[in-house]
Amino acid sequence: MVDIRLNATINGRKVSRDAKPHLRLLDFLRDDLNLTGNKEGCGAGECGTCSVFVDGVLMKSCLMPVAKAQGATVDTIESLAKSGELSVLQKAFHKAGASQCGYCIPGMVMAATAALRANPFADREEIKERLGGNICRCTGYQKIFDAVELARDVQNGRVPATALLETDTADGDVIGKSVRRIDAPSKVSGRLKYAGDMIMPGMLHVQVLRSPHAHARIVSIDTSAALAMDGVESVITAADVPGKDGFGVFVHDQPIMARDKVRYVGEAIAAVAAEDALTAKRAVAAIKVVYEQLAPVFDPDAAMRPGAPVVHDYAPDNITKHIPIRVGDVEAGFAASDLVIEESYSTQAIEHAYLEPEAGLAYVDHDDVVTVVSPSQNITHHRHMLARIIDRPISKVRFIMSPVGGGFGGKEDMIYQGMLALLAMKTMRPVRLVYTREESIISTAKRHPSRTTLRMGLMRDGRIRALAMRMVCDGGAYGLSTEGVMRKAAILAAGPYAIPNVQIDTFGIYTNNTPSGAFRSFGALQTQFATESQLDIAAERLGLDPFEIRRINAMRDGDMTHTKQKLGSVSLMRALDAAEQASGWESGAPAVRGPVRGDLGHDDVRPSVTLGTRFASSGAQEAAE
Amino acid sequence: MARKRGRGMAACWYGIARTATVDRAAAWAEIDDGGSAKIVTGVTEIGEGILTVLAQIAAHEIGVKPEHVVIGDNDTARAPEAAHAGASRQTYMIGNVVALASREAKKRLVDVMADMWDVEADSIRTGNGEIWAENTNHRITMGEAVACAKNRGVVPIGSATFGTDTTGIKDGKGGDGSGRPWQAYVFGCQVAEVEVDTVTGEVQVLAVWAAHDVGRAVNPQGVEGQIEGGIVQAIGQGLMEDYQLKDGHTSTSGFAKYILPTSLDVPRVNSIIIEDPDPIGPLGVKGIGEPAMVPTIPAVMNAIYDAVGVRVFDLPATPEKILMAMREKARRETMASQAAE
Repeated sequence: MVDIRLNATINGRKVSRDAKPHLRLLDFLRDDLNLTGNKEGCGAGECGTCSVFVDGVLMKSCLMPVAKAQGATVDTIESLAKSGELSVLQKAFHKAGASQCGYCIPGMVMAATAALRANPFADREEIKERLGGNICRCTGYQKIFDAVELARDVQNGRVPATALLETDTADGDVIGKSVRRIDAPSKVSGRLKYAGDMIMPGMLHVQVLRSPHAHARIVSIDTSAALAMDGVESVITAADVPGKDGFGVFVHDQPIMARDKVRYVGEAIAAVAAEDALTAKRAVAAIKVVYEQLAPVFDPDAAMRPGAPVVHDYAPDNITKHIPIRVGDVEAGFAASDLVIEESYSTQAIEHAYLEPEAGLAYVDHDDVVTVVSPSQNITHHRHMLARIIDRPISKVRFIMSPVGGGFGGKEDMIYQGMLALLAMKTMRPVRLVYTREESIISTAKRHPSRTTLRMGLMRDGRIRALAMRMVCDGGAYGLSTEGVMRKAAILAAGPYAIPNVQIDTFGIYTNNTPSGAFRSFGALQTQFATESQLDIAAERLGLDPFEIRRINAMRDGDMTHTKQKLGSVSLMRALDAAEQASGWESGAPAVRGPVRGDLGHDDVRPSVTLGTRFASSGAQEAAE
Repeated sequence: MARKRGRGMAACWYGIARTATVDRAAAWAEIDDGGSAKIVTGVTEIGEGILTVLAQIAAHEIGVKPEHVVIGDNDTARAPEAAHAGASRQTYMIGNVVALASREAKKRLVDVMADMWDVEADSIRTGNGEIWAENTNHRITMGEAVACAKNRGVVPIGSATFGTDTTGIKDGKGGDGSGRPWQAYVFGCQVAEVEVDTVTGEVQVLAVWAAHDVGRAVNPQGVEGQIEGGIVQAIGQGLMEDYQLKDGHTSTSGFAKYILPTSLDVPRVNSIIIEDPDPIGPLGVKGIGEPAMVPTIPAVMNAIYDAVGVRVFDLPATPEKILMAMREKARRETMASQAAE
């Protein structure tokens, strides 16, 4: 295909240059013009982080072929803070604490700018509607709404511009004040460079070949056709690893690329470094792999049964980790209980969905130090593991943590940095890998799906006499953080309650599913979901208010935990009192009181949503004032 | 009424920093020319606001303004180890160690000034970019003080390490799990108010009141941000997100199929910050990143039960599951009333 000559006005400047016709507007802005402020979060128009103005209209630039911008006026996030002076809206984002990881923020600022242009008097509900096409994974949106409302009021003169200024710390007391975030100006303006925004001279682009099978032996890999292609510098497989291959937060059971067999769909098998990403993609397609299918196992309970397919030879029972907790004698406790409740619970796998897909650069520096720049949540441990994998002293391995566009535990795994390091060593050139959203979803860790049975024995007065929980989690194909997740899940399973008889067993199991790993709340979310649900079931049966049953059982200062640790101060009662008072809770047993309770619909409750009802009407109303 | 409202609550506890192992972090501090502070430690923002928290802590300890604190990049070849960014440990581990390193740097500067002014070191105060001796007229800027120190051959620097007094738990064969997994625990409680559409089965979480102990809030707005974000992620898991696999292949490889909470799905979050200071660390701080997410799902499920009398045991509580449970409940009630007749 021949290049097109694109003439457009971009951020107020005439641009006239050749562009590859297959490019999206986003690629042209980011790669050809180095306007990296707007990010790629999904490549499918679903997340909004690439939003720009085209002829003044908010557009998702990942959905727009570059040729469609012919003759257009395009404004990116960089256009809003010319010469470094932030717009009122950007200042409001800074003041309100509306940016966290910041990766969605350029798109969010564009969408918010569009919202206030469309209706300078938009109320909070209309603002929400107008931001509905932009996903944020960190903030919970609340501070974003606050920011847009603040900007609206400053722009309309209802609030003085001084409301945007820094919190006063002149009294010298800095701790305890909502000082503005020091990283926010670079995030609201798009100036902050995430790994996928960084370029180095002579940089090669990396693409990865991934397994289409859940469990298969690799009979052969033929990379010759890929290597022969123009522009391809290197192709690597497990055979190129010089040291002892294997990473993982607890067990080092995962090779940087599949070795001998694949254990899940999406597992890396080979990686290509080429002059451009398209060439690397074509080379990946030219790699020939011969597989021999193996029987897979997808269900953790099935994987625990004798005779099940074995995922890792070192664990013939497919158990990654079992954690037991034992206090007292639960059977005696149940026998002595007035009421025994047994229920089963399950939770699903979920995706971290950080807006920044995995990305990284690697190079070998002037001192022969293999250097990896990536949004890793654990560069200390990654350095240790990589040194062993590439057989270099730790001092010759360097990790730099680039700004993380959302982690939530998902970037604790050294899932791609090994491939980058190896390609940098092979080519002695900088290499960069940027995952697509699909790649990120299929190949990286999820929250452990769980199946839990919970037995709880209580006395008539509400005291928990015994608690027994068994949780089986699907750890997927590799260990990652499974051991730690099972441990934290078990330690915290019975909740902050003094219970004389406790028996907890958590099991992390290997299967041929996408691996499970670290995820914010690390197992405690799964176990406490069961315990806290069951406490309400018990409260209803016993005619107790849900706060009351928790107070009856709450650990107090100096109590022992279920791991027999003596606690100091326990703030649980304060938390219960505070939540009860703040919500204006009307006490009573949890027996479907919704229809009759009198504490609903306070001022601190948002209105319920009916799609599309708040758009023009509120604006018209405000404008008429 | 097609839409029914209800309320539910749940409590939680959580351990701060690494679990059942010794945690550690280190930092370097320097009071730089011009009276700014330079902090180097193994940390980068993952969005939680840690850089701002560290700037506030260094500013507080040294006596400069937060905007006059520079924080070095996280780089295994250029910064001391602060270990990983997770486990709700950033403010606890790195905040505390930055405080200790800052105190040491400040002590170096104070010792020089005490000698120069011929006053007791403990009469010297700093704050807001100035240093002075109480009950005297000695008062200069921090920048001037740094110049004084350097003229005497002293660069005001400090370094520190902070470790936890924790152990593994006995989780081997026959073990009872006993041990000291954390030295700081936090507790919390949330109330959720929901509205269930009995025609579509759709659940809206209208409000959450979230009370969490954070030890000491360095930046209350940042604490609220963690609570709000955690609650919304939990609502995602509780009501809509579902990574689906069939024979190892996912059918949810993009955000069109993998549904995330958007601006229209989120409740009004009312945060209540509780401060029960940690007695071990120098600052009293604890953590909030993960615990904020723990009670939300059971609070929402308990609220759904309160509203319509059905309980979801298998997450997520999709509209389909709610409707099925409501139909099953109606069927059982009809059968029971027929049996009674």
